[in-house]
Amino acid sequence: KMAKMYLEHYLDSIEGLPNELQRNFTLMSELDSRTEEKKDEIDKLAAEYIANVKNLASEQRVQHLQRIEGAYSKCKEYSDDKVQLAMQIYEMVDKHIRRLDADLARFENDLKDKLDSSSHESSDEKKSRKDKNNKDKRATRDKTESDSDSPSLKKQKNSDPLLAMHPSDVLDMPVDPNEPTYCLCSQVSYGEMIGCDNLDCPIEWFHFACVGLSTKPKGKWYCPRCTQEMKKK
Amino acid sequence: MRRLKKRGGQPWGCGLGAGRGRGRGRAGPEIRFRPSSPCRLDLSVTRETLTYAQAQKMVEVELEGRLHRINISDPLSVITEDEVMAEDLAECNSNKENSEQSLGRAKQGRKAAAAKGRKKEGKQAQGRRHGDPKNVKKQTDPSTYSQLAGSLPEPTFRVLDSYTPSEAAALPVAYYRYMEKSGEELDMEAEYDMDEQDMAWLDMVNQKRVSDGHASVSPDTFELLIDRLEQESILESRSQALSQNTIDEDAFCCICLDDECLNSNVILFCDICNLAVHQECYGVPYIPEGQWLCRRCLQSPSRPVDCVLCPNRGGAFKQTSDGSWAHVICAIWIPEVCFANTVFLEPVEGVKNIPPARWKLTCYLCKQKGRGASIQCHKANCYRAFHVTCAQRAGLFMKIEPVREAAANGTTFAVKKTAFCENHSPPAGRGQKGARAEGEEEEDEEEEEENDPATRCSRGQRVYTRGPSTPQNQRGNKKGQKQQQKGRRSSEVTGRRSVPLLLVPQIPSYRLNKICTGVAVQRKNQFMQRLHNYWLLKRHSRNGVPLIRRLHSHLQNQRTAEQREPDARLLAMREKLKYWQKLRQDLEKARLLVELIRKRERLKREQMKIDQAVLELQLTPATVLLRSTLEQLQEKDSAGIFTMPVNLKEVPDYLEFVSQPMDFFTMRKKLESQAYRTVSDLESDFNLMVSNCLRYNDSDTVFHHAALQLQEVGGAILRHAQRQAFTTGLDPNTGMHLPAKPNKRNPYQSFWEEVDSLLVPENRLHLSPEEQLKSLLEKLDFITSMRTSGGRTKRVRLLRREINSIRHKLSLQQRASSPLRNGNLRAGEKSAEHRGTMPIVSPTREQGNPNSKSPASQEPSCPASSPLPGDAPPNPPIFGPENSGTRTPGLCKLQKSRGRKRSDCQEQSLFDPDTKDGGIPCLTGDAVNGLSSPVTPPASPVLGVGRRTSVLFQKAKNGTRLKKTKPANRLHNGDTAEDSSNGGPISPSEPSEATLLSVQTSPPPRHLRSRGPSASSESELEKPESPPKDSVLTNGFKKHRDGTPEVQGAARSQEPHSGIPPPKRSRGKPALSKAAAQEGRSADSTSGRSILGPSQSEEEEQLAPLNLVWAKCRGYPSYPAMMVDPNMPREGLFHNGIPIPVPPRDVLQLGKRRQAEAEEKLYLVLFFDAKRTWQWLPRDKLHHLGMDETADKLRLVEGKKPSVRKSVHTAYDRAIMHLSHVRGNASFAPSNFI
Repeated sequence: KMAKMYLEHYLDSIEGLPNELQRNFTLMSELDSRTEEKKDEIDKLAAEYIANVKNLASEQRVQHLQRIEGAYSKCKEYSDDKVQLAMQIYEMVDKHIRRLDADLARFENDLKDKLDSSSHESSDEKKSRKDKNNKDKRATRDKTESDSDSPSLKKQKNSDPLLAMHPSDVLDMPVDPNEPTYCLCSQVSYGEMIGCDNLDCPIEWFHFACVGLSTKPKGKWYCPRCTQEMKKK
Repeated sequence: MRRLKKRGGQPWGCGLGAGRGRGRGRAGPEIRFRPSSPCRLDLSVTRETLTYAQAQKMVEVELEGRLHRINISDPLSVITEDEVMAEDLAECNSNKENSEQSLGRAKQGRKAAAAKGRKKEGKQAQGRRHGDPKNVKKQTDPSTYSQLAGSLPEPTFRVLDSYTPSEAAALPVAYYRYMEKSGEELDMEAEYDMDEQDMAWLDMVNQKRVSDGHASVSPDTFELLIDRLEQESILESRSQALSQNTIDEDAFCCICLDDECLNSNVILFCDICNLAVHQECYGVPYIPEGQWLCRRCLQSPSRPVDCVLCPNRGGAFKQTSDGSWAHVICAIWIPEVCFANTVFLEPVEGVKNIPPARWKLTCYLCKQKGRGASIQCHKANCYRAFHVTCAQRAGLFMKIEPVREAAANGTTFAVKKTAFCENHSPPAGRGQKGARAEGEEEEDEEEEEENDPATRCSRGQRVYTRGPSTPQNQRGNKKGQKQQQKGRRSSEVTGRRSVPLLLVPQIPSYRLNKICTGVAVQRKNQFMQRLHNYWLLKRHSRNGVPLIRRLHSHLQNQRTAEQREPDARLLAMREKLKYWQKLRQDLEKARLLVELIRKRERLKREQMKIDQAVLELQLTPATVLLRSTLEQLQEKDSAGIFTMPVNLKEVPDYLEFVSQPMDFFTMRKKLESQAYRTVSDLESDFNLMVSNCLRYNDSDTVFHHAALQLQEVGGAILRHAQRQAFTTGLDPNTGMHLPAKPNKRNPYQSFWEEVDSLLVPENRLHLSPEEQLKSLLEKLDFITSMRTSGGRTKRVRLLRREINSIRHKLSLQQRASSPLRNGNLRAGEKSAEHRGTMPIVSPTREQGNPNSKSPASQEPSCPASSPLPGDAPPNPPIFGPENSGTRTPGLCKLQKSRGRKRSDCQEQSLFDPDTKDGGIPCLTGDAVNGLSSPVTPPASPVLGVGRRTSVLFQKAKNGTRLKKTKPANRLHNGDTAEDSSNGGPISPSEPSEATLLSVQTSPPPRHLRSRGPSASSESELEKPESPPKDSVLTNGFKKHRDGTPEVQGAARSQEPHSGIPPPKRSRGKPALSKAAAQEGRSADSTSGRSILGPSQSEEEEQLAPLNLVWAKCRGYPSYPAMMVDPNMPREGLFHNGIPIPVPPRDVLQLGKRRQAEAEEKLYLVLFFDAKRTWQWLPRDKLHHLGMDETADKLRLVEGKKPSVRKSVHTAYDRAIMHLSHVRGNASFAPSNFI
């Protein structure tokens, strides 16, 4: 019952997710189209500039260039917005996933408890039955009704039901060929990852092993590439 | 027939040809020998029944576990598949396991030859299989026979000699990978493989169908349908079986009557009769997979068998070696009987060995006489006999225990079997009957509480039934007992014998319809019905065992798994869990997607930025270039002096001096407003900025020095930018790229030509020195930026030489004007004290200076930038201002900033590095210097000192400060300049004057350089640098000196002697003379020429013959020597009455040659060594001697070894002696100062 409850709650919470996603993506695509417009504008301006540059005085040139720059800064703004939006969406989905994970863990625990208790019961039953048999020296055997097409192995049923259950239960996540890749090795994420503290790092995330880490370093950490870049500056 | 082992489970194998593994080839040869079909053989004939004569006429064939006897007179016919099929069909049911076994084996052998896994093609081939010639069949139609015989294909073959079978290399294991298919995958495909029986059936059916005008059904379809049927039945049986408990808690082994079940010795159940036996008890070492049947069910399924050793039925049987049956337990207990194979416990042997006495024993339990063999009670004197099985039924004490027996030939292990009759059973504490005792056949599996006789008894009774009693044996039987037996028997027969309970679930017709929906068969329903029936029969014939092994085992797993899930609620929960996990996966996918989007947007943003940069480069490449140049420039201004406009509030008078303020900020603004079109625009502003600073700020201020430094470094940057602008092809009008790149000239030819032409001084006569310098520097920059090549290094050297010479010349010019200019500037800036000097300055000159000076002075030291890499090595940037200060006037000025004293004695510090910081030694040095030139006019000591200092001050550009303190000095300086310039001409032939001058000028820096810790005295670079310093001398001096060398050369006929044209010589010569020569030719027409005449002797301060010098040979310290004019009269020469040795001819010739090689002027020197050696040396190896005591002192200790130093010392004494003789000053005390 408990499990049902919190999972129901979860269902409620996740209900809004698709709409939320859609809204954000619509917003993003709007921004994108605006960016494209700006880009067209820039192209036009650039062509104009190239055509007229000979006849333009310095101030006019500056003006023209400033217009282009303005368009670019608008573009950049949009781009920043889009990135921000994407990050927001990511956070949102991530939040849901974390919550689901937590709930699932609880659920599984409950399930395990139940399984344990039930298996306990059943084994008790058997034992008692056996005891009874022994005591009564009952010699009756309903052999006929046992179906006979296999060599049945006696007394081999004390394996953990959970063990039998779990492998089939764990669904294999299919490998997504488009899974984003990270790190210097351009592999998908696995194991422990570390994020470069340079916000503009083109790679962002690194496998511990690939950057020679075994534990999380204290303080800021910059990836090898960013470190190099910074040294240059 | 010995069947050693029942290979567990061929669930699909039924009838002929069953038992092949999946994928095993069905493709036999087109015609193959058919394993003997048992159909026509009389199986029941036992050997014993045959007479000898009969036996002679029989051929015994042992096939498929059975003996087949063929009468020799029987015709063996060839039968076709079709004919045999029906028989097969009839036969196979009764035949199943056994035929399957042997056939399987037979096929095993053949399999090697047959290709693997070709089942589909093979099927057709099999369909047309011909009969086996060995097959015995009554031939009904002889015509068919002959016909068939005629149609038998003949095998043809030939032996290939050339063929040698090659062993295929064994593949590494890594190539093999077993990928297990998932259940779903397997469900999708037809796993079922047809066997011969199926083939025969299908053929029959197809024949019928064809005759009815329907398309035949392909074997594939057949297999598929059978597969589906199997699956259905599994589903069906699963639902049925759910309620059944397959595991029988109460099962016990019917041999040992024990229910112990260990993993190593489990209890097996026969799949037909449900016989329960221990593995060990029945001899089944390996648990077979799938179906297991006991021997009886396997070999005599339809008919009950009787034990030859006892009257009881039921229980575990094995065959005896003669084909009859016996209980395993009987075989164990009867001493004469044993198992041929003790592992598989079969067959039973030694029945014949049983003595007749045993046969005759009467079992006291069943009272049947003459039936089976009995054993007797082990109690001595007790002769009660009982059948083994009867004893078990009665629960008698029977015990088997391993006993170790010590025999003569070692210890052997034997099994001791003890059985007691009811009366003699060992007393058991809790046993009710005395005869009952604790006992176990398998003692190690003993379980006390379960093994009381009652249990055993009941078990024994459950296992065994009495066999049909013979009438004579029945007499003593109690009625009740009989009744009991009968009742039991009847019950058991109904309950047990009526088994095989075949679990072949009926498949409802709607399911059948569903099954065949996917299959296209004509007359589907009819076919399906027949197929279903066939399948049912087949399953029945296999005792209900599924035809597909996987499903079979799957069924078991399912069953167990389902059993373990008793809770439906749990199931539901698991479903739920799965649902959530799926949801989790979906979310994960969403997250990945969003992450990808995020990455995409980031990339797009980056692209945007790059786009912008690209467009900027496209639209305003010039601006970009200028901006980066400006940034570089600004970087060099580390103190930020020029970053912002001068704050006019802080320096209100700034505009008085500077009309056009300039700074980096303004420049940047101008740049951004597109005010700069070319690099030159930027450069002019930069120069303006620097010159403003230089103009306004005092020369000893930080600002001034910073400006100078910036000027030097910035020059290189700007030139670099200039070059870049040119190579990229920027259009100054648009600030964009030119439509086409400037055509690239071949850098290694046309450019070299250009350089070469530029290197010839005549070719650039039309240019001003500054321009010359500029173009030369550009060329140098360009060349040094090119790849290394032979032509490059040479030209770099030449260019550098030219540059240095021009620079020197320029600096001379500047020096000439610099005091004036300085004065002027300072006057403008600060004080009116210099107004007095102002008139001297010609305005034009002064104006030209700031501009002309900057390129000249900024170039030499820009160590940080590449333009002069050749220069850089000897003077790495680390030298810092101190060292570089000695090299360039500009930096020299910088250095002066450090303090008055220091700058004052800068000159002195050049003389003696040790005394660099102390002003006094220098001054004393000066004083001594002045004293050491005794020939100077009487006034000169006083004036000399004064003049010297003033010269030094002036040189240090410290004049302003000096003037501030003692303004008269400046004027005085001017005076002395006049004086000395006047004094020069006055004593033209006076060598001392010349020497004095030369001491003041060239030697000191030389000295320093040769002695200096860092500088290599031979470095070419230093040459040009010293002159500037020297040239800081007054105008007049310089003018004179500049002009003279050539004149000197001409006048003293040195030039003709050297035979080298002036330009050439100037190139090879030390910079000073070179510069002088050049100036004399090119620029000096104004001043130099005019002063040529009078200053003839003046130039003697250069290295005139008969001067004493320190000559430096490679590998030796400087050594005192005397300059000798190679053209001196051959008859000899007297110098002040001192004879001068005449150079030998070979020396002169050597000199000519050496000069030609070295391409520079070499001077002939005569060493003051004991042998008076001659040597030709270039100018830079020669330093004046006797002018400066400190320098002389240093040279005296230059030698590293004491012996060398002593030799130098001696020579120096000689030289001084010579000098004093020449000067007529005999009182000279040699080396008194050492």
